[in-house]
Amino acid sequence: MQSEFNIMNISATGLSAQRFRIELISTNIANSETTRTEKGEPYRRKVPVFQELVRNIQGRRENSGVIVKSVYEDPSDFRIVYDPTHPDADENGYVKLPNVNIIREMVDMINAQRAYEANATAINTTKAMITSALQIGR
Amino acid sequence: MANIFNSNFETLKVAMDVQMKRQELHAQNIANAETPGYKRKYVAFEEYLQESKMKLKLTTTNQRHLPTSPEIVTAKEVKMKNTSLTNDQNNVDIDMEVTEMVKDALRYQVLSRLMSANIDRYNTVIRNTR
Repeated sequence: MQSEFNIMNISATGLSAQRFRIELISTNIANSETTRTEKGEPYRRKVPVFQELVRNIQGRRENSGVIVKSVYEDPSDFRIVYDPTHPDADENGYVKLPNVNIIREMVDMINAQRAYEANATAINTTKAMITSALQIGR
Repeated sequence: MANIFNSNFETLKVAMDVQMKRQELHAQNIANAETPGYKRKYVAFEEYLQESKMKLKLTTTNQRHLPTSPEIVTAKEVKMKNTSLTNDQNNVDIDMEVTEMVKDALRYQVLSRLMSANIDRYNTVIRNTR
């Protein structure tokens, strides 16, 4: 027996996963020029890793949406810019800047927004279905 | 004991449950639209119905006739494994998924309308024999 409300929970996990993704994208954009972090190196671009969530409930596999498995730090090379006046420049005058590409972040953000909207549509559709079931016999 | 209600109730109930299961899988697919390696799931209802060789009820007019067991057709969840849409092996096409979801929701509403019509028929009988 499947629960109608479980369907809404699935979409809710999708919403929160996409919201988390937008949070990371905002962090990436905000830190696109950050040269100092706790690790002593410039900021690294952060990407969420999603995983499908299927729970085992009384021996039955129940679809439960998606979870953010981990946050992955992009190991690609830093941007190197010549700026001898920068306090973090090396002896040759080069500064390592974060490996964040603003355009790429913007594209990711649009993707995340679309995915968020799709999940919201799914909730509305489920609600319409439940409402029509409640109208039976009226 | 004879059932005073016709079998439409049971048929419609199964059909509505299947549509609800479809909705669950659409929700799961949409939630996992960005999950690497995720493969879209769908309900193989029609395929499964053919597999069960259309086990429909046969009329028995004599006590010695063999009864056919009423087969409850349940929705079977299948993964579409052979395609991938993006290079992270995910094959959820979010536009297609939303379109299918809206279609299935409309089917569900048709079924619930039919269920109401079925109940209305009984109402008619009850009111007119008073």
